[in-house]
Amino acid sequence: MKGLRTLLVIGTALTTWTAGIAAAQDYGSFPGYTLRVKLIGGAQYEPLYAEIPKWEAATGAKVEILSRKNHFELDREIKQDIAAGTLDWCVGSNHTSFAPQYGDIYADLNTLIPKEVIAEFVPLVIGHSTVNGRLVQLPRHSDVSNLFYQKSLYEDAAKKEAFKAKYGYDLAPPDTWAQVKDQAEFFAAPPDFYGFQFVGKDEAITGRFYELVVANGGKMFDDKWNPTFNSPEGVAALQFFVDLYKAKAVPAGVPNYTWDDTGLGFASGSVAMDLDWGGWSAFFNDPKNSKVAGNVGLIRAPKGTAGIRTGWSGSHSFSITESCDNKPAAASFLEFLTGYDNQMVEASKGLLPTRSKVWDDATAKFKADGNTFMVDVFSTFRQSMAEDAFTPPLIPEWIEVSNVLWPKLQAAMVGDMTAQAALDAAATEAATIMHDAGYN
Amino acid sequence: MKRVRGMVLWVATFLLMVVMCVPGLWVILSAFRPNREILAKPPVWVPETLTLDNFGKIFGWGAEQIAIPVGSYFLNSMVIALTSTVIALGIGMAGGYAFARFRFRGKNSVFLGLMLLRTVPGIALSLPVFMLWSRLGIIDTKLGLIIVYVSLNVPFTIWLIDGFFRQIPLSLSEAAQVDGCTRWQAFWKIEFPLAKSGIASAGVFAFLTSWNEFALASQLTRSTDSKTLPVGLLDFTAQFTIDWAGMCAMAVIIIVPALILTFLVQKHLIAGLTFGGVKG
Amino acid sequence: MIRALTTRRTDLAPFLLLLPAVAVMLFVVALPLLFSLWTSLTPYKLTKPASLYVFIGADNYLRLLSDPAFWVPFGRTVLFLTIALNLEFALGLGIALLINQITWGQRGLRTIMMFPMMFSPILVGFQFKFIFNDNIGILNNALQSLGITDQAIPWLVDGWLAMASILFAEMWMSTSVFAILLLAGLFAMPRDPVEAARVDGCNPWQVFRHITLPFLMPFAFIAMTIRSLDVARAYDIVKVMTGGGPAGRTELLWTLIARTGYENAQMGKANAMAYISTLLSIAFTVYFYRKLMAARRFMGGVQ
Repeated sequence: MKGLRTLLVIGTALTTWTAGIAAAQDYGSFPGYTLRVKLIGGAQYEPLYAEIPKWEAATGAKVEILSRKNHFELDREIKQDIAAGTLDWCVGSNHTSFAPQYGDIYADLNTLIPKEVIAEFVPLVIGHSTVNGRLVQLPRHSDVSNLFYQKSLYEDAAKKEAFKAKYGYDLAPPDTWAQVKDQAEFFAAPPDFYGFQFVGKDEAITGRFYELVVANGGKMFDDKWNPTFNSPEGVAALQFFVDLYKAKAVPAGVPNYTWDDTGLGFASGSVAMDLDWGGWSAFFNDPKNSKVAGNVGLIRAPKGTAGIRTGWSGSHSFSITESCDNKPAAASFLEFLTGYDNQMVEASKGLLPTRSKVWDDATAKFKADGNTFMVDVFSTFRQSMAEDAFTPPLIPEWIEVSNVLWPKLQAAMVGDMTAQAALDAAATEAATIMHDAGYN
Repeated sequence: MKRVRGMVLWVATFLLMVVMCVPGLWVILSAFRPNREILAKPPVWVPETLTLDNFGKIFGWGAEQIAIPVGSYFLNSMVIALTSTVIALGIGMAGGYAFARFRFRGKNSVFLGLMLLRTVPGIALSLPVFMLWSRLGIIDTKLGLIIVYVSLNVPFTIWLIDGFFRQIPLSLSEAAQVDGCTRWQAFWKIEFPLAKSGIASAGVFAFLTSWNEFALASQLTRSTDSKTLPVGLLDFTAQFTIDWAGMCAMAVIIIVPALILTFLVQKHLIAGLTFGGVKG
Repeated sequence: MIRALTTRRTDLAPFLLLLPAVAVMLFVVALPLLFSLWTSLTPYKLTKPASLYVFIGADNYLRLLSDPAFWVPFGRTVLFLTIALNLEFALGLGIALLINQITWGQRGLRTIMMFPMMFSPILVGFQFKFIFNDNIGILNNALQSLGITDQAIPWLVDGWLAMASILFAEMWMSTSVFAILLLAGLFAMPRDPVEAARVDGCNPWQVFRHITLPFLMPFAFIAMTIRSLDVARAYDIVKVMTGGGPAGRTELLWTLIARTGYENAQMGKANAMAYISTLLSIAFTVYFYRKLMAARRFMGGVQ
């Protein structure tokens, strides 16, 4: 009996494995079961959900979508569920930056998803999805930022000459953040044209600040979780934003900008360079939406003073609740959503995949279609996802720390405080949060 | 001379109204333009393209589609706003009548108390109401939202209707009762018809409040079973993007029914708010 | 003229009639408030349900009392409400007086006047966020095209402008409420005193100052009271337009509470703030309500 079971397990594992390669997977059979799920909504996420009937047909189960909201709304809803004890659903959309907050409501997927399947994902991204050694989410697609720029600006002979005369080196897409600053100030002609822009509030600016601290060789916390972002590296990072703002090289409204503002701003053609997410690529190059279509250049994110490239990254993902009443069905659903076929569907819309093979095949497909822009996008982003990407500290207090930090970053930007004073004040508050949370 | 003055006054007022409406008209115009033109620099003042694409996207007959179940949202909004308005009017009429026609102990305190309960900010209520509703199992149901909206609208409805009933001379009802009507019959035959416009205007306010409410709806609704139009607006915001043109198209869908309703009851609205609209 | 029916002391009718109203308010508002009162006496964190059962007394309140990060937004909220309500009243009065003069097509004009009321607060937030965008916003584009400025005015960033922009959005949304209520007041106004004053040789300003305005005051206070019931809906606007930033320059109580309670998950602390903010709303409402009662008595009218 025991032997038979072992044989069966091996058999199943083997089938899953071979099927994974053949991309015609056996998702198991769960007739009559209704899987309750909460998914992130929004235009770019919906095409995947149109595929769900395939899984229903294959397994005999039904999927009931309990809610469909953007991530911030979903975050609030999940916190309410934890508070009210209404975790009566199985699968939820998640994100690597949000996941640590939720404690242990989500199951460790190492025990639910076959190792072979997990091995098909980009290893770095699986690492980002792991909190305290538990794989609490299976990544759906990744995001990291690279530098978009208007190509024509760098081909203009008069501009090249003027730049060289002023700064002493050739005008070319920047490789360091110091160059970004020079060029941003050079290109800026407010109020009609700006050299650069950045998001200026919420966790967005915290993230941008954080990646620059890392690129400058600094750290947010020391080994004992004392805040160290007020170090010289941190001050230099903040000073970068402050200087650009003071020089009017960025729009005056950036302290109120979030992702939509930077994206729409670059698409409006009034900004020279934009550090932005891969998800925007297709939008920027679409003549229906963007005035810079056909003129979009892309390079890997520049390096900080320590020679490290900025690479703040996050991945959208799916998780299974510990309270789920049918974890095998939920696991099957996760494998389906993040499976090869579906990642190909999402990659064709410009989302960055998390499976190594999809990176290959999607790039090949763009090449076959003659879409050189997207080939360029995918090869650039693949490289940064593999080499540069890092997540924020995966601790539950990250958002809380961020919420004391970003108003201070803004205070320095708009001139209420010096960079050092602002960071010192934020570090004091952050230390209290970490202390109250029991870190030291 | 007087006529010229009237004309000038009219034109001036009309222009003022138009200027006041510009920010809103911009939204409505944007619903018929592509994103590229609305948020452009340099600006595109005279629309180059007028298109129904933004609506096509939502309703699913365009080339580009975003799956937003606007039909369900519309239906949810209608059911929730209408039901809660009717219930609030019923409760408000009973309450308003009690305040206007009876003398009882603690009357002023009860009245003020009802008003003050309405002042509690939605943000302060959102979590406790959520916890209570989840115990009762009415999270993400139309019923859950209807109950909340009734409570949002009852105090104001009572206020308005109370004021209205006060203006209806008691003698009318008393006369009817002398003629053999019960108090109940007197109410329906005499006072209710006279109070109609007061009730209509309370109804418009209640409807608009429920129709446009966002803060609580975004907490208490989750799926297409109960999500309302204002909550659905957020479907156009993904983590990094906002489809402003699409949002504007949805805004038109939200605004038009409200506008039609307001226009239809306009006559009653003013009369109803005038409290003393009935000569006594 | 207005008398209440004489009722026996044991008459249950008014209580029965009021029962549904009282019940629904107690159930939807008072009961949840009790719960949040309890949470404000605990270190309750949303993500740690067990913390709901740790009683810490008034600690949350005591910490808030000495916390400028709370009192600065508190003061700003009071100032914001005071300015908003007064300006809305003044503007609404102007509009109502104008429309009252119009005889032809008034119904259409009134509908146009109420147009902003059709806009959901969340929509108003998005709308003005885009209008006031410094780079691609329609307002700066217009100012620059007309040659009024060659700067990109940072509407939502500058300390005063940001607050003024929010104020503008709030006024755009709510002035109509005042206008419609005051217009109703003008309609109810008896003609005789005005005519009499004219005959006595009063100029239009004197008529307005001594006859029209006093008559309108009860309506003004009704409008004020009604608006103060619902001021917190400005939260939607602020949340979308600035989120309380930059550097806390537009932080109002409601954005602070929402961030503390949900993003930071510190519901206990957030509910303590919410209680203080509720007291503020109550203070505003009671103030206007008393004014209203006084004005009504002055008019010798109802009550």
